[in-house]
Amino acid sequence: MTSVAAPPRARSPESCDDPIVRTRVLVVDDHAAVRAGLCQLLADEADFDVVAAVATAEDGIEIAERVPIDVAVIDYQLGGRNGLWLSRKLKRLPTRPAVLIYSAYTDGVLAAAAVVAEADAIVSKGKVGAELCCAVRGVAAGRRDLPRLPPRLADSLRRRLDHEEQAIFGMLLAGLEPAEVARTLGVSPAVLESRLWELLRRLEGLPAAAAA
Amino acid sequence: MSSFADRRATMTRRPTAERGSRYLPLLHRIAGINALLVIAAVGVTIVVLAPGRISALARSEEAVVVLAAVALVVIANVLLLRRVVGPVQALTALARQVDYANLGQRMPGAEPTSEAGELALTFNEMLTRIETERRESTGRVLRAQEAERLRIAQELHDQVGQELTAVLLGLSRVTARVPANVREDALSVQDAVRHSLEDVRRIAVELRPEALDDLGLATALAVLCERFSAQLDLDVVGYVAHDLPPLPAEVELVVYRVAQEALTNVARHSASSRAELTLTRTEARLLLRVRDYGLGLPADSVPGTGMRGMRERAALIGARLAIGNRRGDSGCEVRLEVPLAPSTR
Repeated sequence: MTSVAAPPRARSPESCDDPIVRTRVLVVDDHAAVRAGLCQLLADEADFDVVAAVATAEDGIEIAERVPIDVAVIDYQLGGRNGLWLSRKLKRLPTRPAVLIYSAYTDGVLAAAAVVAEADAIVSKGKVGAELCCAVRGVAAGRRDLPRLPPRLADSLRRRLDHEEQAIFGMLLAGLEPAEVARTLGVSPAVLESRLWELLRRLEGLPAAAAA
Repeated sequence: MSSFADRRATMTRRPTAERGSRYLPLLHRIAGINALLVIAAVGVTIVVLAPGRISALARSEEAVVVLAAVALVVIANVLLLRRVVGPVQALTALARQVDYANLGQRMPGAEPTSEAGELALTFNEMLTRIETERRESTGRVLRAQEAERLRIAQELHDQVGQELTAVLLGLSRVTARVPANVREDALSVQDAVRHSLEDVRRIAVELRPEALDDLGLATALAVLCERFSAQLDLDVVGYVAHDLPPLPAEVELVVYRVAQEALTNVARHSASSRAELTLTRTEARLLLRVRDYGLGLPADSVPGTGMRGMRERAALIGARLAIGNRRGDSGCEVRLEVPLAPSTR
């Protein structure tokens, strides 16, 4: 946890042991025991303030629209919409909270989709509490920590996309912001937005009805 | 016991299939032929030995004629009977060969022009019926197995996995607060839980090829190769052709499961540190090859459940599976050839 932070958010703590500024955390997990465990773990830490803990993505966005949060800790598989849907929704809020996907499976396919969903980090559910807390602090400080996408997997995923989607995917993988991608392609942000939803759907292999 | 005997009795009494017999039944024919031959032989004997001689031949000449006649009778009988019995023998030989591994064999030239032909025809029909039933029941079993695997994977993920996650989170809190003298113990318990969680997750992933349902065969195979490379000491190089036609879900599943089983075997038994997986296509078929550079199969290897499973799956989609050592190179190769339906070519 010694890596240098990107330009910090207004309310982000600068280091792991700075208890003065409390990070407001939203917990989203559909399993009650995991949700409770997460809340207790985070509440034990002096620098975290668990704002709410909900079971679904829909409830999550509803809370985030009313209450300011800094970090959302989200399970990928939720009852209704999944964690990446919530991630994209959260990133459309003016506050743009940091998103940490807390998932049982952390393979390359999820990493690829997480890039498009603008999630900041993926943490395996096999990590212990201390590692999770450090990861929350990391994304609160503006760091991005997504697993590397294996080249062959990236190649096979790209084949599922059309040319424009491949270009968008490539730019996002290279770390470009959506606004820059829109400018590069010469399309309006609204058009890019719908393309991104479609791209996310395809990378996750979801049926067409699940888009946006 | 008695019911079995009854059933056998009914079976023997059951009339043969009615196809309209345009020929003399086998038994009548053999009996008739033999009777005629015996009559002929006796006739000749009487003519030769009767006191009122018809012929004026010498005694030794008479013996030669009798011998010649007998020899002729025997040869004629054998030749005639062989013609009749030959097809039945061929059928017996085929019936001995046929087993569940090669139900595709058929008796050639089976036509209802004789009883033997009729028998061969019926035998062929029976093989077809068994083959169809077998394929259907294997299909049902495999589908049930996949559904069951899916259910177990979901239970593992949704129940065991999540509960272990909650336990791990709880343990993390406890570990942070325990006195220094029990900290080591707490950490080792935490590690044990962590390993269990990893195992549960790995088993769930193996049981259910999630990427296959969502992202198709090419991506699922890429994920499979990555997983083997990441989790085991096996460097898997995968190549999947770009021009794969859209495949039926059943074919995708069989190809995936065969690839998975083959790679599992490489990891477990081959002592090879690398493996190659390729999926290519020609005009008429799809070819999956998984090869390693390890020990190869021992000469006396007996196919285990994994290999039988691969064969059953292959047979289900009419594919050919070959497993063997690579000629002129170390290691083993698994080849699965799937014929493509004309519509997908």
